[in-house]
Amino acid sequence: MKVDRDQVVAMIKEMAAVVAQNKEYLTDLDSAIGDGDHGINMDRGLRKVLEKLPPVADKDIGTIFKNVGMGLISAVGGAAGPLYGTFFLQFGKIAAGKEELTTSDIGAMLAAGLEGIKQRGKAVVGEKTMVDALEPAVEAFAAAADAGKELLACFQAAVAAAEAGKKATIPLVAKKGRAHYLGERSIGHQDPGATSSELLLRAMLKVLES
Amino acid sequence: MVGIVIISHSLKAAEGIKEIAQQMGREVPIVAVGGTTDGDLGTEPLAIKEAIERVGEVDGVLLLVDLGSAVMNTQMAVEMLEDELQRRVVLCNAPILEGAVVAAVESAMGHTLDQVRRAAEGAAQMEKLL
Amino acid sequence: MPEIVVEIKNKSGLHLRPAAEFVKKAGEFQADITLERDGKSVNAKSILHVQALGVRQGMTVKIRAEGEDAEEALAALEELVYNKFGEE
Repeated sequence: MKVDRDQVVAMIKEMAAVVAQNKEYLTDLDSAIGDGDHGINMDRGLRKVLEKLPPVADKDIGTIFKNVGMGLISAVGGAAGPLYGTFFLQFGKIAAGKEELTTSDIGAMLAAGLEGIKQRGKAVVGEKTMVDALEPAVEAFAAAADAGKELLACFQAAVAAAEAGKKATIPLVAKKGRAHYLGERSIGHQDPGATSSELLLRAMLKVLES
Repeated sequence: MVGIVIISHSLKAAEGIKEIAQQMGREVPIVAVGGTTDGDLGTEPLAIKEAIERVGEVDGVLLLVDLGSAVMNTQMAVEMLEDELQRRVVLCNAPILEGAVVAAVESAMGHTLDQVRRAAEGAAQMEKLL
Repeated sequence: MPEIVVEIKNKSGLHLRPAAEFVKKAGEFQADITLERDGKSVNAKSILHVQALGVRQGMTVKIRAEGEDAEEALAALEELVYNKFGEE
């Protein structure tokens, strides 16, 4: 199984749709421990991405993802902009010139994207950030791929791990962003960044499953 | 002369700080940038990058930011600059208003980028109530 | 140590622009220069310190300088104050 350009375009549209549907939810999560703009910011960023999609929708997959990254960087307005922007720019680098993606391409894209986010945000697992959802997802994808699983199964494993990682942020003390000012009071709240990470991966999976 | 870019979640805040800092030296190039494209609170790397480029012909550019994600967006903006300009740009760890006021005076005195940065960063330790 | 006592006569006192002019002028000299009001003394080359001193119109301040060009520095600062920083 490979992923072609049309599926990539469908994934981007699905990500935008899922974020739009969950705008209030993400904002509510962020209001508890952050500045309450994560849903609004992500929605604004992905709407910008959709606006910029048509002129590149027939280009190579690398160009399409680069465009996603630049759209998020230019329009999100909060820390999620440079973080997810870097994530998708890294996707674009790995996918540069490609018309379709193999399981190993996608594994490499996820790994590079995660690395980009970690460098940009200087975060590691356990600090109540998007890394808590993404790192287990990247590892689960790699483990499934190493075991010879099909792309769909690898991606399902990644999303399941992201979901577990997201839930595991609830008891954590935040160490990054505005939430870290709350210290112990951030305990008991699910991290909005980990939540949006899981939503984005799940949106991509939905296209693969259809 | 050292130019200054003031980066805030609010364009109004950035412009207000510029207005105060500009009193310290009319000749100092100061650019204010902030808010999102659609007028919400936030900062955007591309807008910050363009603001840095707008400073014009200077020996260096000092960047002052307000809070949180403005730091990360500014770091990204700096990475996107042309190498030649990037080498003359420094992000300053100073309180934004006091830092801007000090930096404007230091710049008007003809100090180097490093001197201006250190003086502005010293603003964090200053007693406001004498 | 050479020192002078001057009355601040310009309308806004040592506020924003005049304070900046004062600090910039002080910065032209090698001498260590302090500005004193009501027993509180600050570095005259530091804009935030000069601002914090809150010198308003009609107040008297003491300027002290120490160093090779101390006399020149005091003369230049006295002139600046006398000329009301170019203000009313």
